[in-house]
Amino acid sequence: MSVSVLVVDDSPIARKMLRKALPADWDITVQEACNGQEAMLAYRAGKVDVMFLDLTMPTMDGFQVLETLQAEDLNCFVIVVSADVQPLARERALGMGAIAFVSKPVNAEGIRTVLREYGVMV
Amino acid sequence: MDETTHLRLLGFIVERLEVGILAVDRQCRIVLWNRFMETHSGRLLDAVQGQNLFDCFPELPASWLKRKIDSVFVLGNYAFTSWEQRPFLFRFKHNRPITGGVDEMRQNCTFLPLRDASGEVKMVVLTLADYTDTALIQRRLQAAILESETERRKQRALLRRLQGAKAQLFQSEKLASIGQLAAGVAHEINNPVGFVTANLGSMERYLGDLTQLIGAYDAAATALPAAQAAAVQQIRQKLDYEFIREDLTALIKESREGLDHIRRIILDLKDFTRVDQDGWQAADLEKSCDSTLNVVWNELKYKAQIVKEYTHPPHPECIPGQINQVLMNLLVNAGHAIGDQGTITLRTGAQAGEPREVWVEVQDSGHGIAAGDLKRIFDPFFTTKAVGQGTGLGLSVSYSIMRRHGGRIEVRSEPGQGACFRLVLPVQRTEISDQSPPDGPDLAGEVSAEELLALEETDGR
Amino acid sequence: MNASANVLSGDQTDALQEIANIGMGQAGDSIARIWQQFVELSVPRIAIVEADRIPALIHHFVGDGLVSAVRQAFHGGFRGEVLVVLNTGNRHELGALMGYDGPLEPHEEEEMLLDVANVLAGACIGGIARQLGADMGFSAPSLIGTDLDAHSVVRPDELSVATALCVEVCFNVKIHQLSAHLIALLPREEVAALGELLDRFLCTL
Repeated sequence: MSVSVLVVDDSPIARKMLRKALPADWDITVQEACNGQEAMLAYRAGKVDVMFLDLTMPTMDGFQVLETLQAEDLNCFVIVVSADVQPLARERALGMGAIAFVSKPVNAEGIRTVLREYGVMV
Repeated sequence: MDETTHLRLLGFIVERLEVGILAVDRQCRIVLWNRFMETHSGRLLDAVQGQNLFDCFPELPASWLKRKIDSVFVLGNYAFTSWEQRPFLFRFKHNRPITGGVDEMRQNCTFLPLRDASGEVKMVVLTLADYTDTALIQRRLQAAILESETERRKQRALLRRLQGAKAQLFQSEKLASIGQLAAGVAHEINNPVGFVTANLGSMERYLGDLTQLIGAYDAAATALPAAQAAAVQQIRQKLDYEFIREDLTALIKESREGLDHIRRIILDLKDFTRVDQDGWQAADLEKSCDSTLNVVWNELKYKAQIVKEYTHPPHPECIPGQINQVLMNLLVNAGHAIGDQGTITLRTGAQAGEPREVWVEVQDSGHGIAAGDLKRIFDPFFTTKAVGQGTGLGLSVSYSIMRRHGGRIEVRSEPGQGACFRLVLPVQRTEISDQSPPDGPDLAGEVSAEELLALEETDGR
Repeated sequence: MNASANVLSGDQTDALQEIANIGMGQAGDSIARIWQQFVELSVPRIAIVEADRIPALIHHFVGDGLVSAVRQAFHGGFRGEVLVVLNTGNRHELGALMGYDGPLEPHEEEEMLLDVANVLAGACIGGIARQLGADMGFSAPSLIGTDLDAHSVVRPDELSVATALCVEVCFNVKIHQLSAHLIALLPREEVAALGELLDRFLCTL
């Protein structure tokens, strides 16, 4: 059974870049959301196994999504994908329940390493 | 061009360009040092190569410069210094052994990151351009700009004063011509009033004669036959002869009083304008007050009660027509300050001390002057009156007149408590007044005639 | 604020937005490392503006209050100028951070403003250029002025372009009360060169 992946980013180009960086041999179905609100709607509507989450977005940013997820018994893997690569942003995201932090611009190798490391993908 | 030639050419340029070029590695060790640097620092490449930049040049601002170079290594940024903020990085002698004019060489520096194939910054190249000439020109320019800026400010101030002076001149000329007109009218009225007065005297005398004659006829009337006597009696009664006789006396007395009044007004007007006797003279300030009061009485009579507290001080040397003008301004202002009903107090006095001074005070019970306005009331065009009521020039003209007299105007006031203006005049005419001829008042204060002329020419905006 | 129609295509604008976002993220990280402070970043804003609207736009970005402003030219893959509009609350603390000893003299303060602007501009434009595979050079920054009203940073009658592409990002260093708006302006005729680079970038997706 395929893994359900949600890509959350306000930039269509960023979503495209991320989808391109996902491993081709990974059995997944991908949904997209362009802000935190949409992401929460998709999350609540059904099954999201892995969420790639941007931090800076209009109407509900990534930190707010993390906060809400924590309040609602976080039940998926969140990998934060962010242009803001300062250590403090990274620590804050990880402290709020994200399993990993990937810097933009993303590349296939980086994504694969993270997925392997956390056992999301064998 | 083959590669070797190209490289040699580049090497030559780096070496001989009239720009300082050096490079340092991550530990700030000098790896490149061109001839410009050798010449101006007096250190040859061999002496500095491999040495730490800050060890070689302890005069460099180490903590700041280290951070700057570090940031180029970390960020891969360009960085700059400009002589305008930091005159020089290296303390080099300027390049003007003969013409001089500046202590150290002014420098603009650029820090360039030199990356290797992996993108990591391996060296920072520092170029150093001599900006001494630019700095000198800039310094001269700045001085010139500053000078012209000061000049412009001075001109603007002069222009403002000129405008004020012009307006004052206009106002006092206006007042003077009104005075002349009034004096002319007074003179013209004086003649008819003279002969009317003379005629009235004759008429009074003739009337006495006629009354005497009629009295004689009355005494002779008993000799008349009854019928004629009754006819005369009838006419007497019809005309009410007794009343006519009494009323004629009263009419003549009243007419004489009226003529006296006219004559007094004419005298006051003449006195006020002093057209006939302009120039410096000892004047009785109390008389000035009274005649001026009569001239403006029409403006004051319904609202102000006049209180006079005269102490008969000495008579100061002044131009009475001008002092009257000041008094008139003060009296009219006092009238305006009083709303419906109030009091105007006129006081005179003398001040002890040297030089001897006398003063006149005009105090009103009006609305007073706000503290913020007090220091501006003598400025030309300053007025708190409604449009059309005041020109804003009265007090400024008064101020100039008093200054030309070597005197001054003092004012004290509290809002709601009325205002008191005091004119202070030296008893003896002073030096200041001697310098300005009475017919050519220097209304512009310190502005000289040439300055005014120059301003008129430049005021073409 | 997506008035870049007719000048950049929708895809190009999206790409520029994301690249600016990443560029500024990298700039923020570099600055954070130099100053050892967390830098708050804004979402980049992109607009096409008529020259006479630039002062109003700057005021819109920066708001009321007095600011300092620095301009700096960049050239390479595309040419333009960066305006860095700075609101510096605690200049002395910032000065200490940049290696100045003791209280700042006026000319040192100016130099510091130039340096801060240069670091931000270099990091941000450099970051964007790197992603687009362009090599950028910079000329020395110059001070427009200190204690300026936001409206008077740029005088439209002095501008030599009719239209410009404007990319705005904002950095905030809370602890030093420093906020910097970086406004990159590209003359319209340079936009084509940027467009080509963006197309090349889009092809790699």
